[in-house]
Amino acid sequence: MEGLTYSYPRAAAPSLTDVSAEIAPGEFVVLAGRSASGKSTLLKAACGLVPHFHGGEISGAVTVAGIDALDTGPGELAAAVGYLAQDPETQVVSTTVAAEVGLPLEMRGDAPASRARAVEEVALALAIPHLLGRAVDTLSGGELQRVALAAALVTRPRLVVLDEPTSQLDPVAGDELIWLLRRLNEEWGVAVLLAEHRLERCLAAADRVVSMDSGTIAFDGTPADFLAWCRGADPALETPAARLFSLAGIEPLPVGVRAARSVLETRSGAPASSPRRAEGAGSAGPTTAVPHPGKVWGRGTRPPQPSALSLRAAWVELERDERMWDVLRGVDLDVRGGERVALMGRNGAGKSTLLRAAAGLIDPARGRIEAPGGIALLTQNPSDYLVRERVGDELPGEAGMAALRAVGLADAIDADPRDLSGGERQRLALAIALAGRMEGDRLPGLAALDEPTRGMDRARKDELADLVGRLAERGAAVVVATHDVEFAARFAQRVVLLGDGVVIADGPASEVLSGGWYFATEVARVLDFPGVVTPEQGAAILRARPEESG
Amino acid sequence: MRSPFAYVPRPGPLQTASPGAAVAYLGALAAVAFLYSSPLVLIATGAAAVTAGLLAGARRAVRAALRMGFALALLIVAVNGLVVNRGATVLARLGEWPLLGQVDITAEALAEGAVFGLRAIAVMVAFAVYSACVDPDRVLRALRPIAGRSALTATLVSRLVPVAAADAARLRDAARLRGPGAAEAGRAPLARRLLAGSLDRAVDVAATLELRGYSLVPAGPTRRSRFPGGPASRGGGRSTAVRSRFDRRFFLAAAAVLAVAIAGEPLGADAFHAFPTIQVGADPATLAVAAVVLLSGLTPLRRV
Repeated sequence: MEGLTYSYPRAAAPSLTDVSAEIAPGEFVVLAGRSASGKSTLLKAACGLVPHFHGGEISGAVTVAGIDALDTGPGELAAAVGYLAQDPETQVVSTTVAAEVGLPLEMRGDAPASRARAVEEVALALAIPHLLGRAVDTLSGGELQRVALAAALVTRPRLVVLDEPTSQLDPVAGDELIWLLRRLNEEWGVAVLLAEHRLERCLAAADRVVSMDSGTIAFDGTPADFLAWCRGADPALETPAARLFSLAGIEPLPVGVRAARSVLETRSGAPASSPRRAEGAGSAGPTTAVPHPGKVWGRGTRPPQPSALSLRAAWVELERDERMWDVLRGVDLDVRGGERVALMGRNGAGKSTLLRAAAGLIDPARGRIEAPGGIALLTQNPSDYLVRERVGDELPGEAGMAALRAVGLADAIDADPRDLSGGERQRLALAIALAGRMEGDRLPGLAALDEPTRGMDRARKDELADLVGRLAERGAAVVVATHDVEFAARFAQRVVLLGDGVVIADGPASEVLSGGWYFATEVARVLDFPGVVTPEQGAAILRARPEESG
Repeated sequence: MRSPFAYVPRPGPLQTASPGAAVAYLGALAAVAFLYSSPLVLIATGAAAVTAGLLAGARRAVRAALRMGFALALLIVAVNGLVVNRGATVLARLGEWPLLGQVDITAEALAEGAVFGLRAIAVMVAFAVYSACVDPDRVLRALRPIAGRSALTATLVSRLVPVAAADAARLRDAARLRGPGAAEAGRAPLARRLLAGSLDRAVDVAATLELRGYSLVPAGPTRRSRFPGGPASRGGGRSTAVRSRFDRRFFLAAAAVLAVAIAGEPLGADAFHAFPTIQVGADPATLAVAAVVLLSGLTPLRRV
């Protein structure tokens, strides 16, 4: 890209301004930056959707594998560049997986034999040969994302660009996708340009990081240099491990868990001390006090708040692939007023089903589900709640005003919901769900949010965590179904981990999020120290153990 | 939840047959249903469609089509009974009705309605089997060289229909989840929201179609790739449709059904009269047509 400047049709300001960058063959580049910084537009310019599909005004040059992307449409450019967007639902256009994967080859006129071979090879590379005969509408989000990636890769492109492909995936599927990309990058020599908010997930796999800010390139360099740069320029982009080292005063900042452990081991002259592993070796356990993020109702402590959600031996079944499946299997759960609970688990574990059943959208097949104070459920698409053109028309009267005050949008009463930012629209949707369920300024029931952090940068996640805290302070039990372990560590007192429809862990966030690998924060994976999940907690530990902090 | 009529990939003969062969076969059954009024032939046609669907594994689609078909048939019988006063066998005199005038229920009107209902059931089952067993992608692919733009539009619509249905379900849920203090969602605002959302989705799906190369001119033998290692340089040419070993069977069955049905007409195989009294013919010609049509239902059997 050389001096690329682009404005969408009727846009007041350009989305990209004088962007110049080059990606070498076989490079793995992570595109960082806050929301609306121009990352998606840059990716669309690389695959030809900008300007050929979206229109608008463009100047400068974009060349992909020797082809002028401003002169060549995305269909023809697809042979050189594959594109994968955030939402897998709108990225499939065929009925079956095999047809979807083979479509780009068919469109460019490849013979059936060469199509069949290419489809088979890409399916093997992405570990989806078992899906080839399936209908696309029977696939999970993770499977669908892999199928869309296969369709993008089947032409053996020189470059693949991906726009937050893991935002809808659980930690397991997200990590798998990143390492799959790295493997393709190494084995096939495909250059990768990956836009991602959860940098801790992909930085270790990257050769280089390009960071965008307001449509320009603010940083371009190695992952290690990027971490050093963002500490001063934009701390919101720091990874948890880098922040842990920053707070503890340790250099150099690590680009991943392995690098962090290596630095700690080098400094202490021994493998990074892990009380968990030390216990296994017969050593004494930890003696350092861990600051707790909040109060947790433990065993033997009677919580002062009434129950906001109660499930007793709850079974919920749903139809899938022409069969009835038990999605929840005898779940027992109690959530009290004022509690902040993260509901976690892989895709299909039953998180959304539990919330939907609690809200009365699905009846349990057996058992009891009660939410005595009512439940305000915000589903995964806040825009679904916004059907009018004025905030005040969505939320009339004093009940509406109280709900707007609860989410901090009292001043936006005359605004058009479409003019609000993404975060404000989400808060408005929550206010719509809350309206009429409040007693004055108090919230007696349950507020539940289903995957609210999809596509959010850290600044917006922090705002959301603050909002969750305010709702809990008003007396509401807040349950958030999320894949985002770092966000869960930020807001939750308690984590309930679902696996295949049953509760497999339920306890204080600091305990659950430090007790595993996939459902553990990056800091927990670095330190492997019971109860330590946030950079602040980890830094306190490292400062208290100078042999590790140097 | 998936529609019972949604296409499910299975390795059966009907699913692996080319779209032309499958459409010819099921179309022949539907054509017989439209050509004939003989209850025997119509029952045979419906039974053939049901058999074909069950052999092809489309149990859910057949069940749903039968449920809807019988409901529709009952409605047709009831409406026909009320609005048609002809017929010699009066079963009930219901007096003067507003708009309808004198309403007499006759056995003949009910029989005529039952024949219409049988026709509706047979056609609905045939279409349900088509929907559940014939890959729409292959149909659109077959259409693309003939009508590229129409195929593109159909592809876009066929992808958007399930997406819009999912959107509608989500919007309904969101409407139910509104707090008691929020304004009612209302049908008109919801419909507007669904339309706006569908347009957004359409843009995303259209972008994917663009990326998959739908805008490219269908490749011909002389088309040259501008990319090294592209199709022209790899010896690829016009993509030829893969034929199935079952195609012949379905084409033959379709031809046999249509030939027998057309030949049977002048021989009096379609012997049914509802008025003035019910006459149902069961002569050899009718029985022969019914037998051939019924046997054609076995065509999707894996080994014939």
